[in-house]
Amino acid sequence: MSPADFDYIRDFVHRQAAIVLEPGKEYLVESRLQTLAAKEKLGSLDQLITHLRSDPQNGLHRKVLDAMTTNETLFFRDVHPFDTLRKSILPELMARRANQRQLHIWCGAASTGQEPYSVLMLIAEHFPQLLDWNLTFIATDLCAEVLARARSGRFNQLEINRGLPASLLIKYFVRQGAEWEFREDLRQCVEFREMNLVKDWPPLPPLDLVFLRNVLIYFDVEAKKSVLANIRRLLRPDGYLLLGAAETTFNLDDAFERVAFDKTSCYRLRQP
Amino acid sequence: MIDLHRLIEQANELAPLPASTVRLAELVGSPDCPLEDVAELIAFDQGLTVKLLRAANSAASGSATPVGTVKEAVIRMGTARVLALAVAAGARPLLQGRVPAYGLNEGALWRHSVAAAVAAEIVPAFCHLDVPPETFTTALLHDVGKLVMGRFLSPEILGFIHRAQEVDHLGWLEAESLLLNVHHGELGGVIAQHWKLPPRVVLGIIYHHDPDRGLDLICDLTYLTDNVAKRIEAGLDGRQLDFAISARVADRLGLTPKMLDNLCPVAASRYTQVCRRYNAL
Repeated sequence: MSPADFDYIRDFVHRQAAIVLEPGKEYLVESRLQTLAAKEKLGSLDQLITHLRSDPQNGLHRKVLDAMTTNETLFFRDVHPFDTLRKSILPELMARRANQRQLHIWCGAASTGQEPYSVLMLIAEHFPQLLDWNLTFIATDLCAEVLARARSGRFNQLEINRGLPASLLIKYFVRQGAEWEFREDLRQCVEFREMNLVKDWPPLPPLDLVFLRNVLIYFDVEAKKSVLANIRRLLRPDGYLLLGAAETTFNLDDAFERVAFDKTSCYRLRQP
Repeated sequence: MIDLHRLIEQANELAPLPASTVRLAELVGSPDCPLEDVAELIAFDQGLTVKLLRAANSAASGSATPVGTVKEAVIRMGTARVLALAVAAGARPLLQGRVPAYGLNEGALWRHSVAAAVAAEIVPAFCHLDVPPETFTTALLHDVGKLVMGRFLSPEILGFIHRAQEVDHLGWLEAESLLLNVHHGELGGVIAQHWKLPPRVVLGIIYHHDPDRGLDLICDLTYLTDNVAKRIEAGLDGRQLDFAISARVADRLGLTPKMLDNLCPVAASRYTQVCRRYNAL
């Protein structure tokens, strides 16, 4: 692709989603957008970009953004955060909220649903009483297509093999042809919504637990700061923020402090 | 870039292992695997009976007392090794094919698989670990995903993979994952499930390049046997032996560089011997 076309795409995804594409990432843009061009029957990548430039209002821009989003996800990703959730965070939050019997959870990069469904399986396994509480579980993502898949709760064999123990597969999934479908009663506990983390945020309730794992790594510093400022506004004083293992609030937002657990760490608001 | 549903479909359309091998895998995978049933199943498979008796009476079995019956051979070899023999016989025709997308000429994938399986056979003598019995089968099949994945890697996709490697210094597996949302280890896992092999074999195949994520000793061992296989092949080709072992894996396996240096020549010698027998060199 020409340098001008690459710059056009790079600026567009940065403006719309704060995704940073360093010089040299032409191969990534080409590989993802050639697939989209073929799907849209546009013949070539050149034609796709011409089409994008000619009409800024056509739905193709949205599809380009979706195509350029990395949707890597798996069940119980990194394991340790889920151990911490089970051993420390959920018992603590449940004790604190025992009177109100209310808990608000937000998963900010839900992708095809593996993370929210992992949390739900953990709750169903170890804290089933929580399912009778006033539990709000919101899962958002930028990409409409992956959210549709998340809502369907359907996973192929490759996705099932990524991190899901066989015992939980048998208990929480139903075979549907070549795929597996997450149990409908639990699926209904999650409200999937489209949300762009670097645009205006829609209303969210005060949050007890925020999962924003492996998202900030794709953003520039300003976008990271803006996202953390929004979370700071919504996170309850005793709530927890879970980031990816390679992510931190350090040097980005001093309002957060790191809380070390056994093999993982989380963040919460620094107490005055 | 590739249709994952079609990819999975093709993995599930791969020629099945012989019915007796599938039944054997089920028996071996069951918690109370009855030896009599295993012996009876093998006794009805003439080819496998010959192979089993030959293996049980070979020098590598470590016993001077010959065995004469299938049941005695099963007891001597252990059910997992018996399964490995059956899988090797069943998978050999498939693994001998060319996989040009991975630069594998006819027989190359089979030779690499045999080298890894030989390493699996040797490792227990060098690592003071309880090596899971499924390690041999897992080592033999660790790259089976390449058979199907190779069909989908067009020159254009290969070009993108090479560029990802150059620009972002990614390994082949990471580049596959980034660009295709699947890698050959994962696809190998689907094939092993299609063949109804034990779950630990599936796990070892999936994570053979990324054992930190597999959280099971068999993933570390499959990674090690793949690495030893590459060293054996490089040594025989007169290439440099510059295949570093992950420090975390070495630590978990209690493997020192010296142990590895001692292991490789033994594995190489055994590999040459096995290849002569199979006419694979």
